[in-house]
Amino acid sequence: MAQVPGGGEEGGGGGRHKKKRAKKGNTHIDMTPMVDLAFLLLTFFILTTTMYKPSTLQLTFPVPPEDDQPKELDKVNNALTLFLTSKDQILYYRDAYKPGETQLSRTNFKDVEKMLIELNKPTIERINSYAKQLNEKKITELAFDSLKNEAQKQKEALFVIIKPEKDAKFRNMIDIVDEMDISGIGKYAVQDTIKPEEQLLIDAEKLKF
Amino acid sequence: MPKIKMPRSSPALDMTPLVDLAFLLVTFFLLTAQFRPEEAFSVDTPSSMSQQPIPTENLMTIIVDSTGRVFWDFTDKKVRAEVIKEMANRYKFQLTEEQIVRFTNLNAIGIPAQQLSAYLDLDSPAERKVVDQQTNGIPYDDANNQLLDWIRVTQLIFSSGSGGKNPLVALKGDGNANYSTVNQVIRIFQGPTVKINRFKMITDLEESRM
Repeated sequence: MAQVPGGGEEGGGGGRHKKKRAKKGNTHIDMTPMVDLAFLLLTFFILTTTMYKPSTLQLTFPVPPEDDQPKELDKVNNALTLFLTSKDQILYYRDAYKPGETQLSRTNFKDVEKMLIELNKPTIERINSYAKQLNEKKITELAFDSLKNEAQKQKEALFVIIKPEKDAKFRNMIDIVDEMDISGIGKYAVQDTIKPEEQLLIDAEKLKF
Repeated sequence: MPKIKMPRSSPALDMTPLVDLAFLLVTFFLLTAQFRPEEAFSVDTPSSMSQQPIPTENLMTIIVDSTGRVFWDFTDKKVRAEVIKEMANRYKFQLTEEQIVRFTNLNAIGIPAQQLSAYLDLDSPAERKVVDQQTNGIPYDDANNQLLDWIRVTQLIFSSGSGGKNPLVALKGDGNANYSTVNQVIRIFQGPTVKINRFKMITDLEESRM
């Protein structure tokens, strides 16, 4: 019959030792399986966890004018017009559009950063010098922000107009807006108005690749 | 030569601190993990260097997936409940309390208004998922611009509950979505009734650069 160990002895009664003696057995438990389990769980959770860190990119559009016709932005000096086309290609021209003279150049998303930094050098240098002052605690963060804004509004700062084509991908637009932040360009606009004469140039350039 | 004497003591270690540590870490990871809500569509957001965190409240998200379907989402449950009531009012369909509660607990919605009531009748997430996969998203063409209504209703209800403030707006687009589709949504944002000229675009944090 199954009995609880020790119960039988009590049931017999009249044992010599009435006091129950605690067993002096070894209290050490082998913890190896427990450690195995714990680390197994730990490894499982670490390996199955994917870090999901969404961030956001602020984009501000100019308030559309009251009349229906979207106004073409004035291309003062230092303007750069970028066309985002299919196959991750970028076509661009500098300054204002001059009929007959304007030629498109081609670049891609890898090289565009270098080009933007090169074109925006005076502004970047200015921002870097402010950043140095900020690091040396000569100016406050607030002052840095306003100085940076000021530098980005200067006349020599690059002004970029981004015109994604219809068959461009959304990723292309995010990438280029991101490049604006990286290369310290404060003046940029995303527009979807590609003029017919610009479209002709794009189509001609596309035939080459 | 005499043999090298091996120590007789047993090699057992006291593993208690090790166990403590391991379980502490397990508990920590379990408690801090947040499960990503299962969504009916997959949106592979492009990556950027921006480190602005995504707001967790008062945020209206418009989602464009890679096939150009559009979804609407809002963070606050109270506003969601009011929005669905107003949408039911505008599109003339009836909703029970139960359906409203179910709607507030869901995430992004991409069902045309005419099918919303039937959709909210579905009990199991699996059934809803099937519908989600077959839906064409919220219509946003000129003839039937329900997306505009969703945005407008959200704005109206949010601002009436918060003293005239506008909700934050985020655009979550799949990197492979066509720009023309996204542009249509941006045009709706900029339209004369909703006038959203500042919005956030949700991206993944890019870590490999620098």
